[in-house]
Amino acid sequence: MFPKEMKYTKDHEWVREDDGVYTVGITSFAAEQLGDVTYVELPEIGAEVEQGDSAAAVESVKAASDVYAPVGGRVCETNHELEAAPELVNQDPYEQGWFFKLEGVSPAQLKSLLDADAYEKYVGEQAH
Amino acid sequence: MRQTPLYDEHVSLGGKVVDFHGWALPVQFSGIVQEHLHTRTKAALFDCSHMGEFRIHGKDAVRAYARLVCSDPEGLPLGRGRYGAVLNENGGIIDDIITIRLAEDEWFVVTNAGPLEKVSQMFCGAHTGIEDVSDATAKIDIQGPSARDVLVREIPEAAGLKYFNARPARWKNVDLVLSRTGYTGELGFELFVPEAAAVDLWRALLSHDGVIPAGLGARDTLRTELGYLLSGQDFDESRTPLEAKMDSFIAWDTEFTGKEALLEQRSQGGYAVIAAIKTGDRRAPRHEFDVKQESAVVGRVTSGTFGPSVGHGVGLAYVTQELATPGRALTAGPKDLPIVTTSLPFYTAGTCRK
Repeated sequence: MFPKEMKYTKDHEWVREDDGVYTVGITSFAAEQLGDVTYVELPEIGAEVEQGDSAAAVESVKAASDVYAPVGGRVCETNHELEAAPELVNQDPYEQGWFFKLEGVSPAQLKSLLDADAYEKYVGEQAH
Repeated sequence: MRQTPLYDEHVSLGGKVVDFHGWALPVQFSGIVQEHLHTRTKAALFDCSHMGEFRIHGKDAVRAYARLVCSDPEGLPLGRGRYGAVLNENGGIIDDIITIRLAEDEWFVVTNAGPLEKVSQMFCGAHTGIEDVSDATAKIDIQGPSARDVLVREIPEAAGLKYFNARPARWKNVDLVLSRTGYTGELGFELFVPEAAAVDLWRALLSHDGVIPAGLGARDTLRTELGYLLSGQDFDESRTPLEAKMDSFIAWDTEFTGKEALLEQRSQGGYAVIAAIKTGDRRAPRHEFDVKQESAVVGRVTSGTFGPSVGHGVGLAYVTQELATPGRALTAGPKDLPIVTTSLPFYTAGTCRK
């Protein structure tokens, strides 16, 4: 149900490592819960974030919520496509719907995150 | 949670059901934005069977009713509907209503689900000729520019009905009340049908091309883009019709509960009023956000959302009369979202009067 190559948080962010760069987004479960995403606020390039910091925000018709950094690092790229097309978060949360990329991440921080199976189990418990 | 006669239809159509004033109702089917845009371009069905309905039989009964509402129901021409409010002694709004004159001696009243128990006690306690028919009545709204073209194929009487007019009608030997009203800003009708006929009528309307079911979510974004108020959220008994800018629906030349308090408030002045607010981008003001000028709190948001048809955030907030004039720059919420006061409606291309 959830891609195996990602790690997940209990706040429903995902993070994926590619050659030392960590891409962050929100999970399909989070996107489904929010409903139609209408606005995404992205961090500044170069911003330093700690693990667990509020780094971005997402609004839907129904709700507004913060997006927390799954790992600490320096923001090196943000997905400007989302400014004009926030619906990408609903349509393609793991590819075109990514939020921001981090570099300078300490890989040890990934250990505190959930793998796909653990996240799926967590989400299952949330649903009850 | 109570279920409307259409509950099983909603579940089988994939509706996401939520609790709305104790009723299990769909918040969305295909998605709020999609349902919203479909209603603005084609037609959508809404189940509003949770709402209250009353029948008033005879002139003595309507005289008793008229003392409870601010909108002069006795003076309504035959076949017309009129918006109004039920007030307490302090002028506070218990509920907003639509009164319809169905016949020379017969009136029909539409109220909301939240305050229904209280409103029912007031109305039915005022005269034995006032009958609460809420439980026996289902309500289906068909709204959108193609609503009339669809509806006339089921109910030919819909063809000539003008905005805010209403009439008795028949569909397959079922007697119903048909009114050319709605909560979306689009051309549309509200159909009040016996509970037992609701599923058949819902399915018949849905069988037409271009008609989709829509939920409470789209109903809310559609009405907010027009600036229509939501009972219990944009007003309650702590707000008067003057504060809620219902001035034009107050029949000052009639006697009704709360009138003295309204006259007093009107002469005193200085009360807060509801204002239209908008953002400059896709961010939305939200219910219960503080409104600030510089860093001082000057009001409170009652409704707010992204407006799918206008492409920016829209909302309603109570502020001082001075700040309610269009063009005032303020902020809202914990992140000091920039907002500007404006005029209603936000969405100006609605087809409701077409």
